[in-house]
Amino acid sequence: MADTMELRDIEVWDGNMAASHALRQAQVDVVAAYPITPSTPIVENYANFTANGYVDGEFVMTESEHGAMSCCIGAAAAGGRVATATSSQGFALMVETLYSASGMRLPIVLNVVNRALGAPLNVNGDHSDMYLGRDSGWIQLDAYCPQEAYDMNFIAFRVTEDHDVRLPAIVNQDGFMTSHTAQGVKTLSDEVAYKFVGEYKPMNDMLDLDHPVTHGVQTEEDWHFEHKARQQHALMTIVIPKIEAAFADFEKLTGRKYNIVETYNMEDAEVAVVCMGTSVETAREVAVEMREQHGIKAGVIGIRVFRPWPLQQIAAALKDVKAVGLLDRSSPHGAMGTLYNEVSGALFNTDTKAVLTNYIYGLGGRDLTKAHLTAIFKELKANADAGKPTTPLQQYIGLRGPKLSFF
Amino acid sequence: MEKKGWDGFEIGAMLRSFDGATQDIATTLPENRPYSQSNSFTASVADWRIEKPLFNKEYCIDCQFCWIYCPDMSIISRDKKMVGIDFDHCKGCGICVQVCPTNPKSLLMFPEQKDEEAALAEWPKKEKKADAEVKED
Amino acid sequence: MLEIRWHSRAGQGAVTGAKGLADVVSTTGKHVQAFAFYGSAKRGAAMTAYNRVDDKVILNHEKYMSPDYVLVIDPALVYVADITANEKENTTYIITTHLSTEELIASQPKLAGKKVYTVDCIKISQETIGKAIPNTPMLGALMKVSGMYDMDFFKENMIRVLKKLPQKIIDANMIAIQRAYDEVK
Repeated sequence: MADTMELRDIEVWDGNMAASHALRQAQVDVVAAYPITPSTPIVENYANFTANGYVDGEFVMTESEHGAMSCCIGAAAAGGRVATATSSQGFALMVETLYSASGMRLPIVLNVVNRALGAPLNVNGDHSDMYLGRDSGWIQLDAYCPQEAYDMNFIAFRVTEDHDVRLPAIVNQDGFMTSHTAQGVKTLSDEVAYKFVGEYKPMNDMLDLDHPVTHGVQTEEDWHFEHKARQQHALMTIVIPKIEAAFADFEKLTGRKYNIVETYNMEDAEVAVVCMGTSVETAREVAVEMREQHGIKAGVIGIRVFRPWPLQQIAAALKDVKAVGLLDRSSPHGAMGTLYNEVSGALFNTDTKAVLTNYIYGLGGRDLTKAHLTAIFKELKANADAGKPTTPLQQYIGLRGPKLSFF
Repeated sequence: MEKKGWDGFEIGAMLRSFDGATQDIATTLPENRPYSQSNSFTASVADWRIEKPLFNKEYCIDCQFCWIYCPDMSIISRDKKMVGIDFDHCKGCGICVQVCPTNPKSLLMFPEQKDEEAALAEWPKKEKKADAEVKED
Repeated sequence: MLEIRWHSRAGQGAVTGAKGLADVVSTTGKHVQAFAFYGSAKRGAAMTAYNRVDDKVILNHEKYMSPDYVLVIDPALVYVADITANEKENTTYIITTHLSTEELIASQPKLAGKKVYTVDCIKISQETIGKAIPNTPMLGALMKVSGMYDMDFFKENMIRVLKKLPQKIIDANMIAIQRAYDEVK
């Protein structure tokens, strides 16, 4: 039996420390990892907890991220609670195996500490890796601060291991801006946290020798489509209600309320920005200032659940808004940003006639300042007043050199 | 195997070997195992065969080479004694004949339609080794 | 909102200092944030770390800061780093140096007319802890200059923050904190 750890009610933890304590409290059976900045401390701390007797499970140091996720897949198929962490290029190397994990319907929790994808090489935070995983069939939750990096891990275990779901889950947090930023984190006791996550209930596990199973089969045109369709059906119809149920139970336990789509000052908002990660919190602060100092009814929408994409919830949250800024922290490389495209898709067949514009910001950890957000809200107000875009559709924010924009 | 719709099978492209629980599967003979429909045991590949191997017990030394080398587990062996061929799963590849060490061979390939009794009746005799013949002369 | 910027060299403990301060402040019920600018910086490279303290939950994650306090824990950074960047009218500087405040301002004229305090955290840490780790003494100096907390409370909490270190090192840190508190001018 693992030793328990006494925690203070509020610990000053960075996002990595918060995530590693959540993994410890969930008593993961197998963590297989290949550390990479900025997610390294998650698995480093976890290895430390394991070595010091705070975890009963196995820590497996693999030869690559591809090996790490492959090991997680094997352990999950065998029938254990499984988790790991990665970032950036490491996540990119995992991608092949991510599709195997989701297609095999294996519950795995992957902490992705979001970081830019090179070249040029860069260790700082942006959402390139998050976006790279978006069609991989994994559930993707997003944390905006260390507290949420802690909380979302518990939600992830609850949802991914549900026998009606059995789809792996990613918990995203911003590299450095969350992962290396220490803030107060309200803790759960080891006992309460474990109880929330629950005892692992195996399903179709290879270690059930009385019921032998084959995992990882081949299907050609005769079966492949049906299996992928079944996976999509689960993602589109089962996952969101399960996340909502987990959020509701978590609120009862902690008082902390999470939503599929987070809305701040949206009740009467005329203009809004949609974003993810730490930017959501900075934008919340600026939205209040826009109301108090500039008379602009500004609101903020944070995407809490990036996959499955909450199309209807987004449409509902934006139905009365006149202008929306979609803030993408990833280079779209030849297209409009993902949030622009997906929010456009959510609004297109509705009565909403909001003006949508796209902002590319913060690549490679470039600071998103309150001044940037203030300028964005002012542009959105101009769009709302004009009833049409007054700026190019895609603009780069915080970039040196001549103003860069498209369309 | 029945081709079910997208909502008609278990998740994860996971296949069960058996229907229901099994105990001591290693000591249960294949014909007594509750193989599921998705197990390849329930599929026949007999019609892949052009030639079939036939077994002549008279010459077999139960070395088990054929049992080890058969790629389709189609050599039926009981208590380390060769007893015959599983013609539902034998594809007629002839590997068992190739590896049979007896003289004459205890397994030989015949046309698929060949009658077993007729085959046994015309089974070749022991071949004398060429150098042995020289000494006898 | 109270905002603090640390100027340090990678390896001198600014991140640990900022996180330690955040930890102590957090116990009083205030909300805290501690972070740093990282890169693939080598030990010895100039770097900055940051603290935010507020009565409300801190939502601002921008790295831009207009600091109330600037803590410089390496003496050479006064001359090579932009320690006055984004300063406010009443930004207070606490600078590690062997010079007196007057001598320091004479050697770095851009500090003239500003609220500048000096303390030799390098010397203090060498004489107490045994190596040049000037982060904890700087916190002692900050307690004196800011009047943030009384020394008994601060030291009691720092003992908890440092609890994984050997007792001898913790004791040396407490002496260093007290000396910087007494010696900052």
